[in-house]
Amino acid sequence: MRLGLSLKLTVLLACTGILASGLTGYYAYQANRAMLVNEAERSLLTSTELLSQRLSTAVSDVAADVFVLADLQSSPKIVQLDSGFADEQAKDRVAQAFANFIHHHPEYLQIRLISRQRSGLELVRVDRDGNRAVRVLDASLQEKSQFPYVFETLALTPGGVYVSPITVNHEHGAHSAEGRAALRVATPVVSESGAAVGVLVIDVDLASLLKLLQIDLPGDYQVYLANEWGDFLVHPDVSKTFGFDKGRRIFMQDSFVSTTDLFEQTKSSVILNGMEQPQQAPGQVLAFIRKPFGMSGGKHFIVLGLSKPLADVLAGAKLLGDSIIRMVLIFSVLAIVLAVLCARAVTQPLQILAHAASNFFTEKIVHALPLTRTDEIGILARCFDQMSREIKSRMDLLHHKQHELVHLASHDDLTNLPNRMQFLQTLETAIQDATVSGEQLAVLFIDLDRFKQINDRLGHSAGDSVLVAVAKRLQHVLRGGDMVARLGGDEFVVLIKGPKTTDATTNIATKIMRTLDDELSVNGELLTVGASIGISQFPIDGASAEDLLLNADAAMYAAKADGRHTFMHYHDLVESQKLKAVLSKVAEMEGNKPFLV
Amino acid sequence: MLRLYIASLIFYLGLLFSSAAGATENILRVLAWPGYADGDVVKTFETRFHAKVEVTLVDSDEALWDKMHSGTVPQFDVLAANTVEIQRYTHESLLTPLDLSQLPNTQRQLPRFRALSSIGGLIDAGKIYAIPFTYSSMGLIYDRKQIPLAPHSMSALWDPQYKGKVLAFNSAQHNFSFTALAMGYANPFQLSPAQIKLVTQKMIATRRNLLTYYNLPEEATELFVQHKAALMFGNYGTQQMTSLRLAGADVGYVIPDEGALAWLDCWAMTRSVVNRALALDWINFMLEPSVSGLLTQRQGLANTLTVSLESSDTGHIVWLQPVEDIQNREALWSRIVSGDRPESF
Repeated sequence: MRLGLSLKLTVLLACTGILASGLTGYYAYQANRAMLVNEAERSLLTSTELLSQRLSTAVSDVAADVFVLADLQSSPKIVQLDSGFADEQAKDRVAQAFANFIHHHPEYLQIRLISRQRSGLELVRVDRDGNRAVRVLDASLQEKSQFPYVFETLALTPGGVYVSPITVNHEHGAHSAEGRAALRVATPVVSESGAAVGVLVIDVDLASLLKLLQIDLPGDYQVYLANEWGDFLVHPDVSKTFGFDKGRRIFMQDSFVSTTDLFEQTKSSVILNGMEQPQQAPGQVLAFIRKPFGMSGGKHFIVLGLSKPLADVLAGAKLLGDSIIRMVLIFSVLAIVLAVLCARAVTQPLQILAHAASNFFTEKIVHALPLTRTDEIGILARCFDQMSREIKSRMDLLHHKQHELVHLASHDDLTNLPNRMQFLQTLETAIQDATVSGEQLAVLFIDLDRFKQINDRLGHSAGDSVLVAVAKRLQHVLRGGDMVARLGGDEFVVLIKGPKTTDATTNIATKIMRTLDDELSVNGELLTVGASIGISQFPIDGASAEDLLLNADAAMYAAKADGRHTFMHYHDLVESQKLKAVLSKVAEMEGNKPFLV
Repeated sequence: MLRLYIASLIFYLGLLFSSAAGATENILRVLAWPGYADGDVVKTFETRFHAKVEVTLVDSDEALWDKMHSGTVPQFDVLAANTVEIQRYTHESLLTPLDLSQLPNTQRQLPRFRALSSIGGLIDAGKIYAIPFTYSSMGLIYDRKQIPLAPHSMSALWDPQYKGKVLAFNSAQHNFSFTALAMGYANPFQLSPAQIKLVTQKMIATRRNLLTYYNLPEEATELFVQHKAALMFGNYGTQQMTSLRLAGADVGYVIPDEGALAWLDCWAMTRSVVNRALALDWINFMLEPSVSGLLTQRQGLANTLTVSLESSDTGHIVWLQPVEDIQNREALWSRIVSGDRPESF
């Protein structure tokens, strides 16, 4: 039971401690994860915005190049002259400039000067072919009026810039540009009269451009790009890009449902993370922004996105998680130790109290009670202590009274000698002992000879004084192992035991006779009380206490009848009675003549 | 104990087989296009025929081809495909002939669709392999403000009066076919090299008359409205009309006298069909007015039961057929679109 309480308390405290540290650890871990993801989202959004700004800047840079090339003095001239009377030298110079630009801009795929006339015939065209710039010659030049970068650009005011949607270049014979995702930046070539007579267009490779833009982005970032309808243009999985080109459109809104808001233009940025949207962004953190794209003032836009693996974001959380687990384990062990100590501290005083209570009557106190403590246990200990003292004092009193009662029951209250009952008990015990040891016992029945006269003459009070004095004298003459008791009235009885009882008996009887013959001073009078004594002996005069007492009494009467102031052995009485019986028989036989002894 | 164990094992095996048998009895695997087997339609069928329908959607002929070829036999019971594709699958022996008597709803179809032999690709060696379900013609869309009288010929596309106001679709097969149709060739799908050469020249003439080519329907709508186009080759047919009208264009749709190309999607049953009766029930169910009508309501597609508003039943419609040499057409088309000049061909 005591162990039970201690164990229960230990388990309870340990569990509380472990639970508290575990929960704290868990919530710290979760909060940290949420914080890291939040932080990653913010930084990802910033990076996406930065990337989008760079894209704008890059497009502006291309536009600047387009202006430079369109303003080359030769360009309008070539366009105007090119109605069959081509200025070949001017074309060569322009082509050389185009080749230089292609050479210095790895992202440029084509630079062309296109005429408004002749169904948009290319006049000067330089293509990238690997690392080389290739000039496309007359016979291979194509008509381009059906392409938006021609008809849209020609519709612009001088100085305007056309930026095409990003598409895959399917123009036959375009060298490196063929089959690649590209955007076109173009401006009208204006004649001296201010009319748009042609178009200068640069084809920019999307992949090279993005590679340049994301050069300082962390390696684990991945780029997503979609056109205004949501068709993927850039995706980590290349097979998902330009789906419209393969007859199977793949939309950003389908892959990332939340981006629908961007395409419906209700939001300008969307953030997703794999913790809150595990279905849309499994294991990733993503940021998307909508960005106007194409001709200034147009309603065209693209959606640009960056992703980062959630695992990378949470790498820090994992480290922290590991150390949290370690801390939780350490604190749990600590909690268990503390729980054991605490349970002990609480239950030990209780155990002391319980021990004290269970050993209350044996008075075997092992530990001092914690009386000095100021807490509830101290109060309990003090109460217990006070209670135990009170019980003890009451018990002592009770014992004392009981002792008194026992004494009263077994003693004569006048002489303070054992009474008849006590004497008989002692005699029976002595008979049992003597039966075992084979020793002898003697009972002396003492009757005072002149007590009645003293009592009658001097009063009961004097009689009582005589009885007390007789008792003292009797005690005085007895040996240590012998016993004297008052049977009542002026009758006393003495038990003599031990070896040589027979000799001692006569001796003691003589001493008693003598001491009671000595004068007593009662109320200023000297008196002699005197006594007659009957003696019975065990085992010869009786086997029981009653028999011995009865026979001693009989012997005493015989002694008294014999003239008092003497003692008589019972067996002597029996012998004399036998003799008398024989003599009276003889007398009968001799004629009823009394025979005198 | 062992006997009890074996008995229970037999019992569970029995359960397993009976449930497997039940599954094959009541499951129909459908390969279809978006809008052909919407959730409510499937639910109705499932309730009526106490069956479970598993619908797999595809969005291109290529995807359909891939699905039909995943596994040694097709993993589907019924499929929807256009006439050209049906012909390919028939030749590959991937389909099972259909019994018209099991398809009473075919009686409700317009005469044009009941004359199965007039539609190339549905009958092979006297057996019927597919039943028409929905179609879309590739007619001319015109701006009623700029062209008050509906054009009656495809040649309007290269009419100089509409120069820079014409939109065409960027597709090798259809452009050759419809140009050949406009030029009066009997079989626009099987052209001789000489015919190809002439068609190519005509297509360059068309190109020079164009504003541009379009790829996507929404792109077409935007170009049409923004550049105030007068005329457009409607590759997506009547489906395009809705979005054009929504964008504010006052447009008309016409099937020219030379005829219009049209794709026709049909239902067919695969060679590996498990429950023929259920598959036929499905095809028959698809031809119920309430189901076929949904195509028109929800997708803007014509069904085979009612005459559509946009294209009259009398219009000359030419169902798509496999072409003589698709690679050659695509190679030439790539050069035409890119702007190669006539003299280079």
